[in-house]
Amino acid sequence: MKAATLITGLYPPAVRDRWGADISDELEAIGPRSWPDAVTGAVRLWLRPSTWPETFAGQTRRVAAVALFVVTSATMLLLRAVEPSPAVTADTRHIATSLWLAPTLLGMALAAPLPPLRWAALRRMTVVAIRTLAGPAAALSAMVLAANTGVVRQASGLTDAALVAYYWGTLAFAAVGMCILVARVAKAAVLPSARRLGTALVLLGTGLACASLQNVLVSIKTGSVTGSLAATVALALLAAATISAGHDLQPRHS
Amino acid sequence: MHSNDAQMLVLTVLADGPLHGYAINTAIQELTGSRLGPGSLYGALSRLEARDLIRPAGTDAAPQERHRTMEITDTGRDTLRAELEQMNRISQAGLRALGITPA
Repeated sequence: MKAATLITGLYPPAVRDRWGADISDELEAIGPRSWPDAVTGAVRLWLRPSTWPETFAGQTRRVAAVALFVVTSATMLLLRAVEPSPAVTADTRHIATSLWLAPTLLGMALAAPLPPLRWAALRRMTVVAIRTLAGPAAALSAMVLAANTGVVRQASGLTDAALVAYYWGTLAFAAVGMCILVARVAKAAVLPSARRLGTALVLLGTGLACASLQNVLVSIKTGSVTGSLAATVALALLAAATISAGHDLQPRHS
Repeated sequence: MHSNDAQMLVLTVLADGPLHGYAINTAIQELTGSRLGPGSLYGALSRLEARDLIRPAGTDAAPQERHRTMEITDTGRDTLRAELEQMNRISQAGLRALGITPA
């Protein structure tokens, strides 16, 4: 794939629909010198959803809803990668470590597209959900089955590496499947309002900021870097990005 | 907006007539001697359209056309005029302070 196509693909869909061809032409005309500006511009546009030029009604809200679930999935994979972390693991004995989950789950609930209350539409969405999640569900079932048959405990060498690769591949497959499901359902569902989506993004950002802060506090308390410093920084950056985008999406009163 | 602001440059070249993205940058290059980066240009176009200062030219144009032509709106013209008049006042004051008589 050409660099120009790849960089153009980083832009929000509405901007790509409107100016994708022009952006690609500019990138090819100017060359690598234009890449940093183009990538920075793409990041800035993702943080300012209110400026996306909609090519159809509701496009911004649909993309923002899917983006929220993409950020959530990426966060879950990131946290799974640095576990076991006593700072952010959901644990009934240490309620404080689950604190970040409250705003995160509330944000997801607010951003979820709601199915229209019509039998035909509900049936179509159920079919879409089954088709989209059948693959990830089968892969997860196979993983659970493998874990319970003792194959994992006896594995060594190449088999062990293959099982680890399968584990992460399955988690990523399930995360992508969830995001695709939201994207497909959002086409026919009742989308949340811009205000509600803005609030959802701010709540998700607050949850991520809490997770990052919990990591820092536990590191200070124990005197060791739990999980990884990179994960704490990544969570803080994701929090700043989602809060910024959420504030931007809130309708302004003039 | 500032004189070197990407949004100001886009409004200035669009005041001359509708142009598509690549042509806007070519006009900016003729005006300033350098092209804007793609991120700066298309970010500016998005922000200007969100503020209703520019709009797609021709309502009959197909949304999927390869190069979308944009035109300045009446609000965009008023904003540009106000900005240019303010810049002109600052420019006159600066030149007088430097002892240069404006032409």
